[in-house]
Amino acid sequence: MLNPNPAHLWAGPRAKASTILAVAARYHLNEPIHLQFYYFLHDFLTGNFGIDPLTGQSILSEILFYLPNTLELVLVAFLILIIAGVGLGYVSGMHFSTSVDSLIRTIYLVSWSMPMYLGAILAILIFATYVPILPSGGMYSLSIKPVEGMTGIYLIDSLLELNFPAFLSGLQHLILPAAVLAFVNFGLIARAVRSSILNVRWSTYVKTARAKGLSEDEVQRKHILRNSLIDATSLSAVMFGWLLTGTVVVEQLFAWPGLGQFAYQAIEANDYPVLIPVVVVFTLGVIVANFVADVAYSLLDPRIAMGAQTGAIA
Amino acid sequence: MLKLAQSLRFRQLFLSNRLSALGLIIVLLSVALSVLFGILGKGITPYDPYSLNLQQSNLPPSTSHYFGTDFQGRDLFSRVIAALPIDLGLPIAIVLLSCVLGIFLGMAAGYMGGLVDEVVMRVTDLFLAFPTIIMVLAVAATLGAGLVNATLSFVFVWWPPYVRLVRGGVLEVAAEDFISISKALNSSFYYIIMKGILPNIIPSVLTYATLDVGTCLLEVSILGFLGVGIPPGTPELGVMVGSISYGLYTYPWQALFPAFVTMILVVGFSFLGEGLREASDVKVRPYILFRGRKAKAPKVEPMHQGMM
Repeated sequence: MLNPNPAHLWAGPRAKASTILAVAARYHLNEPIHLQFYYFLHDFLTGNFGIDPLTGQSILSEILFYLPNTLELVLVAFLILIIAGVGLGYVSGMHFSTSVDSLIRTIYLVSWSMPMYLGAILAILIFATYVPILPSGGMYSLSIKPVEGMTGIYLIDSLLELNFPAFLSGLQHLILPAAVLAFVNFGLIARAVRSSILNVRWSTYVKTARAKGLSEDEVQRKHILRNSLIDATSLSAVMFGWLLTGTVVVEQLFAWPGLGQFAYQAIEANDYPVLIPVVVVFTLGVIVANFVADVAYSLLDPRIAMGAQTGAIA
Repeated sequence: MLKLAQSLRFRQLFLSNRLSALGLIIVLLSVALSVLFGILGKGITPYDPYSLNLQQSNLPPSTSHYFGTDFQGRDLFSRVIAALPIDLGLPIAIVLLSCVLGIFLGMAAGYMGGLVDEVVMRVTDLFLAFPTIIMVLAVAATLGAGLVNATLSFVFVWWPPYVRLVRGGVLEVAAEDFISISKALNSSFYYIIMKGILPNIIPSVLTYATLDVGTCLLEVSILGFLGVGIPPGTPELGVMVGSISYGLYTYPWQALFPAFVTMILVVGFSFLGEGLREASDVKVRPYILFRGRKAKAPKVEPMHQGMM
């Protein structure tokens, strides 16, 4: 796969020698490696991501085209993951060592042992082939005029334009990939919530809350659930990273025109001028998610104030 | 005597959990099969897993072909068995190499402290921020197809959690009295490391590693599924699933059987690892992946790292 001369690859199989030379000169391929690195760093830090050698388009504009689609997929998947993970973990913890508990534990054990492609294939086979109620791929039906909105996120744009057929079509196409992405990842959150519920629900402060005369609903909502969310919050940043990287497989199988598919195509074509910025975008996503989780953490748990020395948690 | 009693109690605890016994059975069976295949080759498979037989292509599952045949007429059951050495060997090799790296770096960081600690942990943090599978794909594509290259590209991103795990363990053990007594008795550096610290962190590393083999297996099969790093045509479970993209609707078994086998293998390692963790009652450090290293770790059970 490693072509000694990327210029050959990028110029195309039948390119003239002069074209190959021009491509090599354009990407500084003939310079020594430290100079190439300097050029890369200089351009990169000044926000110039360069031109995709395969399509001839600006890499930044390509990333900005694909990124909203991936964000849409990942955010919806994240929403499903949090609701399913916290909900099932909570139910499982509150019904400790009953049949409900073991059913839920089996579900999440299966979910995290499931290869992502198996989840996607099963979803496509079941919901798009044998019981064809959902589309198997793409972002919207071909019969619908694509929405040209400002945010680039399809669901938001179609809502802003009050274009409900487009919104519905987008939602239909989104359900399967987002649900698959969430399903293969939610197990960890469910388990963390369950184990912290078990830590919390028999603790003395919950007894105190009951003794104060709070209603059972309030005890469960304010004292048990809220405290069990602390662990889930810090985990959710990790989960967000997994969802982001999971898009490489899911977008491939569901023909979702997102950053994961873009990254995969760049890898296949040895198109590393594209790959580097894409990996940086993914990494930034993980870092931002971690930062948001840190902030949410301190909001949930007043003992962790921003900037203060972190002492005992839990 | 005490050791014997402890190990008996450990075995009792471990086997009393039916799920972990199931995991042990799955793991032992698959390892035995792959070793057998490694020794005897085609002798133990019903058909030749490599040779083409186009007249028999795309047959559905039947009593003569348990899992059916693929588009080139190869028996899928035989190919799944032929895939076991690769699908177990690669993750185990990756995890072991990561363990070794993690133990070296983590011990250096935890025991020496100071500048070494700072440098090692910052580099570890840096690597933890990379998106796992994309980084593996990129490195594997650059190195070129090949099983050794695939292993190396995995190790490249797989080691950071081990450094955290080991470092956390070392910090805990090094604060114990017997270490300071050992120092006061003028034991050598080597002696303290080998006899004092290492035996105390190995169990938790091995427990985490057992769970991690399953996770790693998932990711290796994804690499194969996407067709990067692992040479096409290799009997590997992910490659087998990925090679049928056109025929999914017509020949779903060609994808489903290898994919379910992958899942069963991962379930085996997960159950085994969970059982080991519970039985050995080691407080597996949730420092791994948590950024607040200095904070006391929240009580979360150990984590699967990098499951996509």
